[in-house]
Amino acid sequence: MIAGLAMLLAVLLALGLLTGAAGFGVPDATILWQLRLPRTALAALVGAGLGLSGAVLQGALRNPLADPGLLGIGGCASLGAVAAFYWGISAAFAPALPLAGLAGAALGSAALLAMAGRAPAGPSLILAGVALSALAAALLAMALALAPNPFALAEITFWLMGGLADRSLLHLALAAPPIALGCALLLRLGGRLDALALGEEVAASLGAPAGRTLLLAAVGVALVVGAGTAVAGGIGFVGLVVPHLLRPALGERPGAILAPSLLAGAALLLAADLLARSLPLLLPLSAEPPLGVLTALLGAPFLVRIARRMAA
Amino acid sequence: MRRVAAALLAALFLVTPYLVTPARAERVVSLNLCTDQYLVLLAPEQVAGLTMLARDPSLSVVAAAAARLPVVRADAEAVLALRPDLVLAAPWGAQATLAALERQGVRVVRSTLPRDFPAIRAETARLAALLGEPARGAALLARMDARLTAVPAGTHTSALWLAPRGYTQGPRSLEAAALRAAGLASAGQGRQLGLEALLAHPPALLVVARAPRYPSLATDLLTHPALAALPRRTVPPALLACGGPWTARAVSLLARP
Repeated sequence: MIAGLAMLLAVLLALGLLTGAAGFGVPDATILWQLRLPRTALAALVGAGLGLSGAVLQGALRNPLADPGLLGIGGCASLGAVAAFYWGISAAFAPALPLAGLAGAALGSAALLAMAGRAPAGPSLILAGVALSALAAALLAMALALAPNPFALAEITFWLMGGLADRSLLHLALAAPPIALGCALLLRLGGRLDALALGEEVAASLGAPAGRTLLLAAVGVALVVGAGTAVAGGIGFVGLVVPHLLRPALGERPGAILAPSLLAGAALLLAADLLARSLPLLLPLSAEPPLGVLTALLGAPFLVRIARRMAA
Repeated sequence: MRRVAAALLAALFLVTPYLVTPARAERVVSLNLCTDQYLVLLAPEQVAGLTMLARDPSLSVVAAAAARLPVVRADAEAVLALRPDLVLAAPWGAQATLAALERQGVRVVRSTLPRDFPAIRAETARLAALLGEPARGAALLARMDARLTAVPAGTHTSALWLAPRGYTQGPRSLEAAALRAAGLASAGQGRQLGLEALLAHPPALLVVARAPRYPSLATDLLTHPALAALPRRTVPPALLACGGPWTARAVSLLARP
């Protein structure tokens, strides 16, 4: 499974470097290094982080609906990044952008854990997440409307739906270290998540108390989602869909799907981004469709499937 | 375009007698950045209210003067409180507010927002007459024409005007008119161009309005390192946010050798 996913990812990475508005094939050096490389690498990195975050959150919260976007962590990250970007802080000090995204995601995770109270597995958590997500979206719209730039509100699509068009190597350099660090942290949680799947008391007796697992998961997700959202906007549904795609083949044990979720998340976002790049080449579109539109088109049918399976 | 300009001129001659006869408006409110600038340049004494945008130096050529003049939001109640006898506005935007003002008996005049130099001449003359300041209008136009005639013979270099968000300016835009007046050939087709599509067929010259004071994704694009190798000329964005006599200053900047 891992080898297959890694090969798929390698093929998609190669296609990512060979596809773009200039046409299919190897472009000139500027286009290849300054445009296609950062875009392709960011799609893989951000997708990997989102896929892994979804798998860890679903395991840690023991809830199949857990996803950084649905729970509002992504929205809080967008809010933090918007504050740093439009008020000129990140223009003066570039690392302020991922740091502010990170701070937003961390605040969102903390608020979520506090709101969910002592029953993180129950429906109260999803309710709290939906509330946080709505709150973050409202504050985001307000922040953009009040930003010093009178045109800022026009950019709400990017912060709500994400995008990788025309990102630069600087964005890659800013996002890569926190995402790599967060993924390394999250990948080590497999044993703790497996223990938690047996119940909180069993987990505590195995030396993996639920509280500490949740805290580590929150830190890792904040690093990954905070930095990813700061440079690629609010890309939804990847974290929700990826673990559900993998469970039929890999089983229900949360620790077993972590590394595959990382690879599959990268592959899924790369594929969605390749679709976004290719559609204007194939159809008479005036612009690329927003990335979040494509991931939502892909993810929404899965939500329906999960809901039907739960009702059965 | 020439026919539009001719029609505008004809309309000007038809309406001028009616515009000059009523008593000069003493309290004028402008609800659009473009009419703000005409109003401040033609009749600063009559300003009862401008938009906030008029004070932004990255958008307005009268930012310094507007800082000392009152501003008002496009809100019927706020505008009525200023007891204006004339409101200047754009043909679009805030139409509900304008309709409410007209119901209250306030005179509303919508500017045509000119997109080339003949239209700028017509609009300047029309608004100058409307505000009872035809001499100031003629002086503004004389300075504009002096700048335009000082432009040396053109090279017809292919120039692409890249606007924020990667839009290019079409042949009927104010930007294309400025490029033509500067002796350059405008390569823009008015479509949104990604950087990769732009670099696949690079223009001989890239023209951008210098990024405004505040960062945005749209203006970040103009400083993407992938564009660094292209010859580039920058123009203050306030000169082209609205078409007016001040747009000739952009032509001088573009035409410099």
